[in-house]
Amino acid sequence: MTQPADRRPDRTSNTRRTAYTLPVCLLALAAVAGAAVTALAPVDARGWAGAAAAGGWVLLAVAVCVGTVKANGLRARTAEAEDELLRTRAQLDSRTAEDMGLAQVTLPAVARLAREGVAPDEVLRQTRPPALPSQRELLRVCVTALADAEQRAVAAAAAGRSAADDVARMSDDVRRLAGETLPSVVDKLRGGASVDRVLAGMHWPQDPALRDLTEAAVRELALSERRAAAAQAASAKALSRVQAKSVSMLADLRDMQDRHGEDVFGDLLAIDHSTSQLGLMTDRLALLMGGRSSRAWNKPIVMESILRGAVGRIAAYQRVRLHCSTRVAVVGFAAEGVMHLLAELTDNAANFSPPTDEVHVYVEESRTGVVITIEDSGLRMSEAALRRAEESVSGQMTDLALLQGTRLGLAVVGRLAVKYGMNVSYRPSARGGTGVVVLLPPQLIAQQAQAESAPAATPVTTAAAPALSGTDAVPAPRRSGDTRTAPAAHATPAEGTEIPGHVAFEEHSTGRERTADGPDAHDQVAGHARHSATRSPQDSPGAPGTQPPAGGGTDGRGATLGGLPVRRPGRTMAAAHAELQERQAAHARDRENTTRTPGTPGPAPADASGPAGTEGTAGPEGTAPGRRQRTPRDIGAGFGAFHRASRAADESEPPPRAE
Amino acid sequence: MRRPVDVGAPDRLYTVTGGRSRSDGSSFDLVTLIVAECEPSVGQQSEHRRILELCRHPTAVVEIAAELSLPITVVRILLEDLQATGRIVPRHPRVAASATLPDTALLTEVLHGLRNL
Repeated sequence: MTQPADRRPDRTSNTRRTAYTLPVCLLALAAVAGAAVTALAPVDARGWAGAAAAGGWVLLAVAVCVGTVKANGLRARTAEAEDELLRTRAQLDSRTAEDMGLAQVTLPAVARLAREGVAPDEVLRQTRPPALPSQRELLRVCVTALADAEQRAVAAAAAGRSAADDVARMSDDVRRLAGETLPSVVDKLRGGASVDRVLAGMHWPQDPALRDLTEAAVRELALSERRAAAAQAASAKALSRVQAKSVSMLADLRDMQDRHGEDVFGDLLAIDHSTSQLGLMTDRLALLMGGRSSRAWNKPIVMESILRGAVGRIAAYQRVRLHCSTRVAVVGFAAEGVMHLLAELTDNAANFSPPTDEVHVYVEESRTGVVITIEDSGLRMSEAALRRAEESVSGQMTDLALLQGTRLGLAVVGRLAVKYGMNVSYRPSARGGTGVVVLLPPQLIAQQAQAESAPAATPVTTAAAPALSGTDAVPAPRRSGDTRTAPAAHATPAEGTEIPGHVAFEEHSTGRERTADGPDAHDQVAGHARHSATRSPQDSPGAPGTQPPAGGGTDGRGATLGGLPVRRPGRTMAAAHAELQERQAAHARDRENTTRTPGTPGPAPADASGPAGTEGTAGPEGTAPGRRQRTPRDIGAGFGAFHRASRAADESEPPPRAE
Repeated sequence: MRRPVDVGAPDRLYTVTGGRSRSDGSSFDLVTLIVAECEPSVGQQSEHRRILELCRHPTAVVEIAAELSLPITVVRILLEDLQATGRIVPRHPRVAASATLPDTALLTEVLHGLRNL
């Protein structure tokens, strides 16, 4: 039990001496104590006491010796253990250093090599192997794992790149498909190309799925395009038949209105009105379906007729007031379009105004064309409605898909406006309703009757036109003649040399008038007329047929041989008198002219037409409507109308003898 | 399909008469002579203008109808319009015919002419 007490002081360095002094002191003290006990003991017990003390001391000494020896042994073992500890610590330090080296130098190098793609064995060979086998094993495992991971990372990166490439390619494909291919395909399909041709010519996407999708979409698109086109064509075709029927009905009705008397006239007018409305509806549909208008005019139409023709096609035509004082005419090719457009707009105006209010149509000429204003006093259109209407009439919404329900009229207006370059705009009307302003550009305007003195320009052509309608070559020259010189041609016959048919008439009438000059002149004139007849072979041969006989006792001065004035149909006797006198005066002047210039170098035909020209230019100065010269065909047509009119009016009366 | 080319006038008769189909009290015979009382003016309907131009000299109703190529009924309605505003005056035929009586020789000539027809 003392051992722990003994071992404690051994820890310090200088306790070794005290380790031996303490037992010696203890033994000395014990010896002193024994001696003292022996001395102090009674004498008779001194022997025993001394013996006991000596025996105790010896035992103590033995115990102390044993303890000391054991303590020394323990001390040596402690020192040994401390040495062992130091050694182990050093070893641990070196091992830690190596570990650090492995972690900080070797492993990064290995990792770098592995990342560079060096094989694991090569990496191990290039690296300085660690001292310890365990570390070598660790390194080997690390290198293997690293190489494995590196390989896997490379593979993953490659896969990622290829996936990104795929995505980019596909998005390119899709973009191209949407941006270029499909629009061009749609264009081609709308242009009438067949599906297979379009599919063969188009740029295919690379992705198979996208290819399938594209093909399916294109085929479906082509099918629906074809379906729409077929539907449109079929309805346009069907509508064209209805159009033709309604046009012929209108013509028949006009005929009946001429033939029948007052008792059925009102009914005929009612049917006429219905048929006209029917025509407007059919035309509207036909235009939307890509068809054509039912009518086409081959001559300029004066604005008044345009307006009437437009208003006559709507239901509420009696509510429309026309204010038209201009005498401009619309060129023939655009006349039907303008009429249809105005009909739609007036119909709209009449439908959207109270049934008791009037719709006013004003026409004014301006420098930029002709302005037609249609004003109603109905509800003022809202801003949005105005905008929608403006959009509709702007002609930008040409697709049938954009049609709003049954409101087709404005879409038709838009198409017509774009087709003929007209400008249609909406504005609030001063009357409280809405005003539509239509601007006809100057190229649609045919300047016609210049002077008031030629009033018969257009209406008379309506009488003369049927005779000319059979030819194909006539309309074009007629139009140019009408636009520039038609009024003049009617007022002064000899000037209208642009119109082949008229030349023949004029020459004939001139020739008839000049018969008195002698057969020679007549032959020349007739020859010239034949010459001009070759220019319009279909027209001129009819001229002599319709011409009243030039003989029969009349001379060329519009009077009989006995001086009786020749009165033409439609002319009063007084007018015929005045005409005769004027013509005689003109003839005298004419003869003076020809005698004054006998040496004119012109050949005979020029001579024949020359006097006619001078007469023509001299004549019209005093042109009064009553003195108008009329072509033979005019006379014939007038007489026919006269005949019909009188017979229709009074059928019981015996008809006047025709010829 | 051959495309029809229209040659007539586009205005229908009911637009000419403004929807009327019958003249009220028909004071115009077929041969009533009509005389214009004023010159045609700019704002008028073109048919009215033409009637006024034709009737500077007395003209019969049938002649007007023939000249305008309109049915008699329409012409009557138009004439009534003009008469209502005092622009024309109907005149009996005999009044115009008795202006100058031709002599016998002239009448003989007429007879010859008629026989030659």
